[in-house]
Amino acid sequence: MKQADKYIDLKGREISLAELTSPERKLILEMTLAAETATDWADFSNLWPLKVTELYANQNLTRPQIRHTVVYRVCQDLDSRFAVSRGLARRPDYRDELASLIEQRFRTRREFCEATGLSEDMLSHVLAGRKHLAINTLEESLHRIGYSLHIAPAASQ
Amino acid sequence: MIQLKIVECSFFVPIRRDGNLSDGELHGTDCWEWLDDQLFDQFSGRTIAPGLYEGFYRDPDTKDRVADESRKFVVAVTESQLDELRELLSVACKKFQQKCIYLSIAGQVEFIEANDHETS
Repeated sequence: MKQADKYIDLKGREISLAELTSPERKLILEMTLAAETATDWADFSNLWPLKVTELYANQNLTRPQIRHTVVYRVCQDLDSRFAVSRGLARRPDYRDELASLIEQRFRTRREFCEATGLSEDMLSHVLAGRKHLAINTLEESLHRIGYSLHIAPAASQ
Repeated sequence: MIQLKIVECSFFVPIRRDGNLSDGELHGTDCWEWLDDQLFDQFSGRTIAPGLYEGFYRDPDTKDRVADESRKFVVAVTESQLDELRELLSVACKKFQQKCIYLSIAGQVEFIEANDHETS
Protein backbone atom coordinates (compact mmCIF):
# COMPACT_ATOMS: atom_id res chain seq x y z
CA MET A 1 0.00 0.00 0.00
CA LYS A 2 1.42 3.39 -0.93
CA GLN A 3 1.68 5.71 2.01
CA ALA A 4 1.81 9.51 1.78
CA ASP A 5 5.26 10.93 2.47
CA LYS A 6 4.06 13.44 4.99
CA TYR A 7 1.82 13.46 8.01
CA ILE A 8 -0.06 16.55 9.10
CA ASP A 9 -0.50 16.76 12.85
CA LEU A 10 -3.35 18.33 14.81
CA LYS A 11 -1.61 21.69 14.76
CA GLY A 12 -1.30 21.57 10.98
CA ARG A 13 2.46 20.90 11.09
CA GLU A 14 3.97 18.67 8.44
CA ILE A 15 5.97 15.68 9.62
CA SER A 16 8.03 14.14 6.85
CA LEU A 17 7.78 10.38 6.48
CA ALA A 18 10.26 10.28 3.61
CA GLU A 19 13.21 8.95 5.64
CA LEU A 20 11.30 6.24 7.46
CA THR A 21 12.37 2.63 7.25
CA SER A 22 9.95 -0.04 6.16
CA PRO A 23 9.30 -1.27 9.76
CA GLU A 24 8.65 2.32 10.86
CA ARG A 25 6.15 2.88 8.06
CA LYS A 26 4.54 -0.45 8.82
CA LEU A 27 4.09 0.49 12.47
CA ILE A 28 2.55 3.86 11.63
CA LEU A 29 0.09 2.14 9.34
CA GLU A 30 -0.68 -0.46 12.00
CA MET A 31 -1.23 2.22 14.65
CA THR A 32 -3.41 4.29 12.31
CA LEU A 33 -5.67 1.29 11.89
CA ALA A 34 -5.57 0.55 15.63
CA ALA A 35 -6.64 4.13 16.40
CA GLU A 36 -9.52 3.81 13.95
CA THR A 37 -10.81 0.63 15.51
CA ALA A 38 -10.12 1.31 19.20
CA THR A 39 -13.14 1.91 21.38
CA ASP A 40 -11.41 2.99 24.60
CA TRP A 41 -8.87 5.81 24.72
CA ALA A 42 -6.80 3.89 27.28
CA ASP A 43 -6.48 0.87 24.98
CA PHE A 44 -4.83 2.91 22.28
CA SER A 45 -2.83 5.02 24.74
CA ASN A 46 -1.38 1.84 26.23
CA LEU A 47 -0.73 0.16 22.90
CA TRP A 48 1.32 2.63 20.90
CA PRO A 49 4.13 3.42 23.39
CA LEU A 50 4.67 -0.31 23.82
CA LYS A 51 4.89 -0.87 20.07
CA VAL A 52 7.16 2.12 19.53
CA THR A 53 9.49 0.99 22.34
CA GLU A 54 9.60 -2.51 20.86
CA LEU A 55 10.44 -1.11 17.45
CA TYR A 56 13.53 0.69 18.76
CA ALA A 57 14.51 -1.94 21.34
CA ASN A 58 17.61 -3.04 19.44
CA GLN A 59 18.89 0.42 18.61
CA ASN A 60 20.04 1.50 22.08
CA LEU A 61 18.02 4.70 21.90
CA THR A 62 17.36 6.57 25.12
CA ARG A 63 13.77 7.38 26.06
CA PRO A 64 14.13 11.04 25.02
CA GLN A 65 15.62 9.92 21.71
CA ILE A 66 12.69 7.58 21.10
CA ARG A 67 10.33 10.42 22.00
CA HIS A 68 11.80 12.55 19.25
CA THR A 69 11.39 9.93 16.54
CA VAL A 70 8.85 10.53 13.80
CA VAL A 71 7.05 7.32 14.73
CA TYR A 72 6.57 8.39 18.35
CA ARG A 73 5.34 11.85 17.32
CA VAL A 74 2.89 10.46 14.77
CA CYS A 75 1.54 7.83 17.17
CA GLN A 76 1.15 10.43 19.90
CA ASP A 77 -0.74 12.64 17.48
CA LEU A 78 -3.01 9.72 16.57
CA ASP A 79 -3.67 9.36 20.30
CA SER A 80 -4.55 13.05 20.55
CA ARG A 81 -6.82 12.84 17.51
CA PHE A 82 -8.59 9.89 19.11
CA ALA A 83 -9.25 11.92 22.26
CA VAL A 84 -10.49 14.93 20.32
CA SER A 85 -12.78 12.83 18.12
CA ARG A 86 -14.37 11.23 21.22
CA GLY A 87 -14.85 14.55 22.98
CA LEU A 88 -12.27 13.72 25.67
CA ALA A 89 -9.80 16.51 24.88
CA ARG A 90 -9.90 19.67 22.86
CA ARG A 91 -7.80 20.70 19.91
CA PRO A 92 -4.82 22.77 20.94
CA ASP A 93 -5.29 26.52 20.51
CA TYR A 94 -3.06 29.60 20.74
CA ARG A 95 -3.07 29.41 24.55
CA ASP A 96 -1.50 25.96 24.48
CA GLU A 97 1.13 27.19 22.05
CA LEU A 98 1.77 30.19 24.28
CA ALA A 99 2.23 27.92 27.30
CA SER A 100 4.69 25.73 25.36
CA LEU A 101 6.60 28.77 24.18
CA ILE A 102 6.92 30.07 27.73
CA GLU A 103 8.13 26.69 28.96
CA GLN A 104 10.66 26.24 26.22
CA ARG A 105 12.07 29.75 25.98
CA PHE A 106 11.66 31.36 29.39
CA ARG A 107 12.56 30.37 32.93
CA THR A 108 9.37 31.80 34.40
CA ARG A 109 6.11 33.39 33.34
CA ARG A 110 7.37 36.60 34.88
CA GLU A 111 10.37 36.60 32.56
CA PHE A 112 8.03 36.08 29.58
CA CYS A 113 5.81 38.93 30.74
CA GLU A 114 8.76 41.25 31.14
CA ALA A 115 9.91 40.42 27.62
CA THR A 116 6.51 40.78 25.98
CA GLY A 117 4.97 43.56 28.04
CA LEU A 118 1.96 41.44 29.00
CA SER A 119 0.81 41.66 32.60
CA GLU A 120 1.25 38.55 34.71
CA ASP A 121 -2.34 38.79 35.83
CA MET A 122 -3.64 38.86 32.27
CA LEU A 123 -1.39 35.98 31.24
CA SER A 124 -2.63 33.94 34.18
CA HIS A 125 -6.25 34.50 33.14
CA VAL A 126 -5.48 33.64 29.51
CA LEU A 127 -3.63 30.41 30.31
CA ALA A 128 -6.37 29.38 32.73
CA GLY A 129 -8.92 29.81 29.94
CA ARG A 130 -10.74 32.64 31.67
CA LYS A 131 -9.87 35.40 29.20
CA HIS A 132 -8.64 35.86 25.67
CA LEU A 133 -5.98 38.19 24.36
CA ALA A 134 -6.94 40.65 21.65
CA ILE A 135 -5.23 39.68 18.41
CA ASN A 136 -3.32 42.94 18.13
CA THR A 137 -2.09 42.61 21.73
CA LEU A 138 -0.93 39.07 21.08
CA GLU A 139 0.72 40.07 17.82
CA GLU A 140 2.58 42.98 19.40
CA SER A 141 3.67 40.91 22.40
CA LEU A 142 4.97 38.10 20.22
CA HIS A 143 6.73 40.52 17.92
CA ARG A 144 8.77 41.77 20.91
CA ILE A 145 10.25 38.32 21.38
CA GLY A 146 10.74 37.56 17.70
CA TYR A 147 7.60 35.58 17.01
CA SER A 148 4.59 36.25 14.79
CA LEU A 149 1.06 35.04 14.26
CA HIS A 150 0.06 33.29 11.08
CA ILE A 151 -3.00 31.56 9.72
CA ALA A 152 -2.52 27.89 8.88
CA PRO A 153 -4.77 25.30 7.25
CA ALA A 154 -6.76 23.35 9.84
CA ALA A 155 -5.73 19.73 10.27
CA SER A 156 -8.38 17.21 9.27
CA GLN A 157 -9.89 14.89 11.90
CA MET B 1 23.22 -7.23 44.11
CA ILE B 2 20.97 -4.61 45.66
CA GLN B 3 17.30 -5.12 44.86
CA LEU B 4 15.52 -1.79 44.57
CA LYS B 5 12.07 -1.73 46.10
CA ILE B 6 9.49 -0.86 43.47
CA VAL B 7 6.21 0.69 44.49
CA GLU B 8 2.95 0.77 42.56
CA CYS B 9 1.58 4.29 42.35
CA SER B 10 -1.63 5.45 40.78
CA PHE B 11 -3.04 8.88 40.28
CA PHE B 12 -6.15 10.44 38.80
CA VAL B 13 -6.18 13.30 36.33
CA PRO B 14 -9.59 14.84 35.65
CA ILE B 15 -10.35 15.30 31.96
CA ARG B 16 -11.47 18.89 32.59
CA ARG B 17 -9.78 21.90 34.14
CA ASP B 18 -11.05 22.89 37.56
CA GLY B 19 -14.18 24.98 37.13
CA ASN B 20 -13.36 27.26 40.04
CA LEU B 21 -9.65 27.67 39.42
CA SER B 22 -10.10 27.75 35.65
CA ASP B 23 -12.91 27.37 33.11
CA GLY B 24 -13.93 23.71 33.52
CA GLU B 25 -13.15 23.00 29.88
CA LEU B 26 -11.48 19.90 28.45
CA HIS B 27 -7.69 19.94 28.43
CA GLY B 28 -5.93 20.66 25.20
CA THR B 29 -4.12 17.68 23.72
CA ASP B 30 -0.79 19.37 24.57
CA CYS B 31 -1.37 18.70 28.28
CA TRP B 32 -1.89 14.99 27.81
CA GLU B 33 1.08 14.78 25.46
CA TRP B 34 3.26 16.58 28.01
CA LEU B 35 2.24 14.15 30.77
CA ASP B 36 2.92 11.16 28.56
CA ASP B 37 6.33 12.49 27.59
CA GLN B 38 7.29 13.07 31.23
CA LEU B 39 6.17 9.62 32.32
CA PHE B 40 7.94 8.02 29.37
CA ASP B 41 11.20 9.84 30.10
CA GLN B 42 11.23 9.67 33.88
CA PHE B 43 9.52 6.39 34.70
CA SER B 44 9.91 4.44 31.46
CA GLY B 45 6.21 4.34 30.89
CA ARG B 46 2.81 4.02 32.47
CA THR B 47 -0.44 2.13 32.16
CA ILE B 48 -3.78 3.84 31.86
CA ALA B 49 -6.78 2.05 33.34
CA PRO B 50 -9.68 1.52 30.94
CA GLY B 51 -12.49 4.04 30.80
CA LEU B 52 -13.00 7.08 32.96
CA TYR B 53 -13.41 7.20 36.74
CA GLU B 54 -16.38 9.18 37.97
CA GLY B 55 -16.06 10.80 41.36
CA PHE B 56 -16.98 13.80 43.41
CA TYR B 57 -15.45 15.90 46.16
CA ARG B 58 -16.22 19.01 48.18
CA ASP B 59 -14.36 22.02 46.85
CA PRO B 60 -12.36 23.39 49.81
CA ASP B 61 -12.83 26.98 48.61
CA THR B 62 -16.42 27.10 47.40
CA LYS B 63 -17.70 24.20 49.59
CA ASP B 64 -19.65 23.03 46.55
CA ARG B 65 -19.98 19.38 45.60
CA VAL B 66 -17.95 18.92 42.44
CA ALA B 67 -18.30 15.88 40.16
CA ASP B 68 -15.52 14.94 37.80
CA GLU B 69 -14.34 12.26 35.40
CA SER B 70 -10.72 11.22 35.49
CA ARG B 71 -8.17 9.06 33.76
CA LYS B 72 -6.33 6.71 36.10
CA PHE B 73 -2.60 6.33 35.55
CA VAL B 74 -0.54 3.54 37.07
CA VAL B 75 3.25 3.72 37.31
CA ALA B 76 5.83 1.51 38.97
CA VAL B 77 8.56 3.56 40.61
CA THR B 78 11.47 2.89 42.91
CA GLU B 79 11.21 4.39 46.39
CA SER B 80 13.97 6.82 45.51
CA GLN B 81 11.85 8.13 42.64
CA LEU B 82 8.78 8.91 44.73
CA ASP B 83 9.71 12.55 45.21
CA GLU B 84 10.28 12.83 41.49
CA LEU B 85 6.73 11.60 40.92
CA ARG B 86 5.35 14.02 43.53
CA GLU B 87 7.21 16.88 41.85
CA LEU B 88 5.89 15.87 38.44
CA LEU B 89 2.31 15.79 39.72
CA SER B 90 2.80 19.15 41.37
CA VAL B 91 3.72 20.60 37.99
CA ALA B 92 0.83 18.67 36.45
CA CYS B 93 -1.54 20.37 38.90
CA LYS B 94 -0.68 23.70 37.35
CA LYS B 95 -0.60 22.39 33.80
CA PHE B 96 -3.99 20.68 34.11
CA GLN B 97 -5.38 23.53 36.21
CA GLN B 98 -6.26 21.40 39.24
CA LYS B 99 -6.25 22.36 42.90
CA CYS B 100 -4.73 19.00 43.72
CA ILE B 101 -4.13 15.55 42.27
CA TYR B 102 -5.05 12.33 44.07
CA LEU B 103 -2.01 10.09 44.36
CA SER B 104 -2.02 6.62 45.85
CA ILE B 105 1.35 5.14 46.82
CA ALA B 106 0.93 1.45 47.60
CA GLY B 107 -2.50 2.24 49.04
CA GLN B 108 -1.46 5.36 50.98
CA VAL B 109 -3.26 8.40 49.64
CA GLU B 110 -1.74 11.86 49.23
CA PHE B 111 -3.18 14.98 47.65
CA ILE B 112 -0.52 16.73 45.64
CA GLU B 113 -0.89 20.46 45.20
CA ALA B 114 0.69 22.84 42.74
CA ASN B 115 4.10 24.02 43.73
CA ASP B 116 3.72 27.78 43.50
CA HIS B 117 7.23 28.91 42.74
CA GLU B 118 5.69 31.55 40.54
CA THR B 119 2.27 33.01 39.95
CA SER B 120 -0.02 30.77 37.92
